[in-house]
Amino acid sequence: MVNFTVEEIRLLMDEPRNIRNMSVIAHVDHGKSTLTDSLVQRAGIISAKNAGSARFTDTRPDEQERGVTIKSTAISLFGQLAEEADLKDIPVPTTKNEFLVNLIDSPGHVDFSSEVTAALRVTDGALVVVDTIEGVCVQTETVLRQALGERIKPVVIINKVDRALLELQLSKEDLFQNFSRVIESVNVVIATYFDKTLGDVQVQPDKGTVAFGSGLHGWAFTVRQFATRYSKKFGVDKNKMMERLWGDSWFNAKTKKWTKVGTHEGQTLERAFNQFCLDPIFRIFDSVMNFKKDEVTKLLEKLEIKLTSEEKDLEGKQLLKVVMRKFLPAADALMEMMILHLPSPATAQKYRMETLYEGPQDDESAIAIRDCDPKGPLMLYVSKMVPTSDKGRFYAFGRVFAGTARSGLKVRIQGPNYVPGRKEDLFVKSIQRTILMMGRYTDPIEDVPAGNILGLVGIDQFLLKSGTLTTSETAHNMKVMKFSVSPVVQRSVEVKNANDLPKLVEGLKRLSKSDPCVLTIINESGEHIVAGAGELHLEICLKDLEEDHAGVPLRISDPVVQYRESVSDTSRIHALSKSPNKHNRLYMVAQPLTEEVAKDIEAGKINPRDDFKLRARVLADEHGWDVTDARKIWCFGPDTNGPNLLVDQTKAVQYLNEIKDSVVSGFQWATKEGPVAEEPMRAVRFNIMDVTLHADAIHRGGGQIIPTARRVLYAATLLADPALLEPVFLVEIQVPEQAMGGIYGVLTRRRGHVIEETQRIGTPLFNVKAYLPVNESFGFNADLRAATSGQAFPQLVFDHWQILPGGSPLDRTTKPGQIVEEARKRKGLKPEVPGYENYYDKL
Amino acid sequence: MLYIIGLGLADEKDISAKGLEVVRRADRVYLEAYTAVLLVEQSVLEAYYGRPVILADREMVESKSDEILAGADEKDVAFLVVGDPFSATTHTDLALRCRQNDPPISIRTFPNASILTAVGATGLSLYNFGQTVSMVFFTETWKPASFYDRIAENASLGLHTLVLLDIKVKEPNLQAMARGKIIYEPPRFMTVAQCASQMLEIDEERKQGICGKDSLAVGVARLGSDNQEIVAGTIEELTNADLGNPLHSLVLCGKKMHEMEWEYVRGFAIDQTKFDSIWKRDYAGHN
Repeated sequence: MVNFTVEEIRLLMDEPRNIRNMSVIAHVDHGKSTLTDSLVQRAGIISAKNAGSARFTDTRPDEQERGVTIKSTAISLFGQLAEEADLKDIPVPTTKNEFLVNLIDSPGHVDFSSEVTAALRVTDGALVVVDTIEGVCVQTETVLRQALGERIKPVVIINKVDRALLELQLSKEDLFQNFSRVIESVNVVIATYFDKTLGDVQVQPDKGTVAFGSGLHGWAFTVRQFATRYSKKFGVDKNKMMERLWGDSWFNAKTKKWTKVGTHEGQTLERAFNQFCLDPIFRIFDSVMNFKKDEVTKLLEKLEIKLTSEEKDLEGKQLLKVVMRKFLPAADALMEMMILHLPSPATAQKYRMETLYEGPQDDESAIAIRDCDPKGPLMLYVSKMVPTSDKGRFYAFGRVFAGTARSGLKVRIQGPNYVPGRKEDLFVKSIQRTILMMGRYTDPIEDVPAGNILGLVGIDQFLLKSGTLTTSETAHNMKVMKFSVSPVVQRSVEVKNANDLPKLVEGLKRLSKSDPCVLTIINESGEHIVAGAGELHLEICLKDLEEDHAGVPLRISDPVVQYRESVSDTSRIHALSKSPNKHNRLYMVAQPLTEEVAKDIEAGKINPRDDFKLRARVLADEHGWDVTDARKIWCFGPDTNGPNLLVDQTKAVQYLNEIKDSVVSGFQWATKEGPVAEEPMRAVRFNIMDVTLHADAIHRGGGQIIPTARRVLYAATLLADPALLEPVFLVEIQVPEQAMGGIYGVLTRRRGHVIEETQRIGTPLFNVKAYLPVNESFGFNADLRAATSGQAFPQLVFDHWQILPGGSPLDRTTKPGQIVEEARKRKGLKPEVPGYENYYDKL
Repeated sequence: MLYIIGLGLADEKDISAKGLEVVRRADRVYLEAYTAVLLVEQSVLEAYYGRPVILADREMVESKSDEILAGADEKDVAFLVVGDPFSATTHTDLALRCRQNDPPISIRTFPNASILTAVGATGLSLYNFGQTVSMVFFTETWKPASFYDRIAENASLGLHTLVLLDIKVKEPNLQAMARGKIIYEPPRFMTVAQCASQMLEIDEERKQGICGKDSLAVGVARLGSDNQEIVAGTIEELTNADLGNPLHSLVLCGKKMHEMEWEYVRGFAIDQTKFDSIWKRDYAGHN
């Protein structure tokens, strides 16, 4: 049964140095949830028998059914180092050998990577799970990049080693080579996203930051563990031993010496790693799987493994599981790796503060976060909402970065649009209850100090998805999370029974709350739209909507792609629009923004909150902008942070600053709904060329300027060869050689093309990367499975926008034109795009 | 023919006899109702004229003027403007359209009283006024201060400034507008007190003392009507003045305020001793 109590956990919470907040991240199906089970089993919640197949953290019935994690789940565990003496190996002095490990199991399927983002925000370390055979896949890379971006330190476990042994029958040396390759490719990713403050976080088996094992069988080891065993035997220092047990290091049995060369007098030596670490494992596998009973008994004696009489009767895989689990329990290796090498909140918050906090780096909130101070002002980030058993209500899930959260505490609830000193997006309310999240259970807890993860009751009414909770009146927001996926696929929903409409509306609200990435929109024609990251994501969202959030039968349309409007040239002439009273005139020009700039804006690298001089420097140095122009960016849009820019190029216009707000509002409006199909605009730069204004403020208020700004932006866009951008997926497919042909056929039919094709060394598997327009991706999975007799497994993730080929979107006979017409009809607009003359005024 | 007819300032009876004749026989009659409002309801007008009147809001005049001008080359259309057509209001645009129309529409204008002249009731001489400015409702982010430069120019010559106050009869909500929806705000009229406090706000920013606490000013309300009200005092005093119903205007006194003007204005003063002492200290003898 549960071998720790809430009280014990609460005591540990006061020792930030004894806390590890970590997320488990990986590509789909690399075995995160299964590995997590081994840890949960150690904490005593599920019985040893079920570990490996229970998937404790998959709390939803559909997760259990599909065997796919959909939502990230948090659980607090109680951990200890096997040997108290190891405490000295923790970089920060720690005295107590009792640790609180807050672990978040996150989904591996790309469609749910917003869940990963939410999980990473509240943790300091990440356990990256990599499949021995499949190696580093697209999602491994994505989550690693996300983790490093949040300054999260990774450790790696190479999982499914049992498959390499049982299915591929690799030799020891091959297995070693395989391990090295996987580690190398992980390190390549880490090196690519190197962060100076975080320092070198490349993983090395001889440093103890890599483990090898099998989640399914429940065993794992680190080189350090073996080094501990052998250091006693050889009488060598453990750290020295660790270096010797990995890489190009051999033990010459004849000379009893360690060497750096693999041969001795013409004879090949066995690599130290193979000889000392892999050999015992291979021997166990060999003897158990080949039913060599006597040998098994001998081995067990030698390795000091004791079996119960029941267990002794087991055979084959069952016996293997039991033996391996007793020999190298996965939880020991993982706990050791996490406790020794992942940072505690006290350590991590020192260097994470500047990436976490928006405000000045020296105000009281920043300092309290940096010091992880439980007595400072409360700084709590809510990263997501978790549905409760009480329908329609949510726990706010997050982390206390400073101060102490407790039931009844009055806090300021700051939404993502909160601006210090203003009252918008701000509520002052009391925390009803604080709770501990334990997989599928929750436990009430009185208070939670800095550095810990928690759930809150009663906050869901005031926050949509995420936000900052604080007790300091001057506190700025914690940085808003940036998602690596965007909702590019949408479907409209309507109720089958008109009376159910209010339930649908309520259900959409709840759906939007329960998922960090989903978007729910009502468009002009009253259509309800749900947008998600991919087909699977949307399918799950709509299922939740129908069965849970709304609970009424729904009619769901075919999936529709979200397009973007852009321009492919500079406006032919200066666009001019006059205000309704004719006293104000705006002149503008639209031109394409380079893809790099648009991408950097979307990635948050160039963002509206940057210091304008620094931003201008970056634009000038990296993107060839004119510095004067770059300093005169009025705003980003839509939503004040989108990938379109408004640049002031006027000279000496009087009162210009008095209409800036109105022009900016018009710009936000125009970029949110472009002139072609009312889709959002992307990668357009608008230059204000000239402005003439009425001398008197009363004649150039918002009512005059906002619609004029929008009209002139529309005219400028239509005069600059408008183009439609379509989203494109990056597809990664793992497939055996003989099924390759099928992939090419399916891709070609769907306007896709292969960009990379590599064989996984040591396996018959090929790794194919391709681009596939989202528009053509519906039913792709099924199609691909049919064409490859079910042997290909694709992963689709949004990658970039591309100009929809086939002609001008203004011409109704072209493909883009038809798409525009369809979209306009769906939105209840006139089928044809209005000409620029509608927005252009003659002088 | 388009008749642009001034209605004067107060009520239905301020229209000229000539204007009334045109109104009674015209094909269509529009009432412009956003640059200023009359102090009586539309229905009162209609009863007096004995005919229906079409209300023309900002959107109609600015964006759908074709509707107003339709057929005006043959028929008579009357366009009623509160005050005087070409004084404080800006209907040159409509007149321009008539000229540009094919065939051109001829125009006839009937002048009437305007706030620009009626403000003489304060006792300040119309000869001594400088440029007229308008004061708009400030929002948290939008505080156009360009009026200040204008007042400063007037002040440098010692002239009075007539400040016209914002009215929002059918203004769209700007936040809704930026989301693509048109929602009209409830009507709002700026009061003398609001204007005075906005002037103080900008003066504190600019620190030139042109409309500071001790500057003298005159607030007027409903000029030309039976219950017109005039109040004089310092800007600071006016921030607390209550002049009742709309419409309000304000005059900032120039330094050249003459003895004669002073003698008349002091009759409206909130605090006559203070008014006198400030005038003597800061204004007298600037001629």
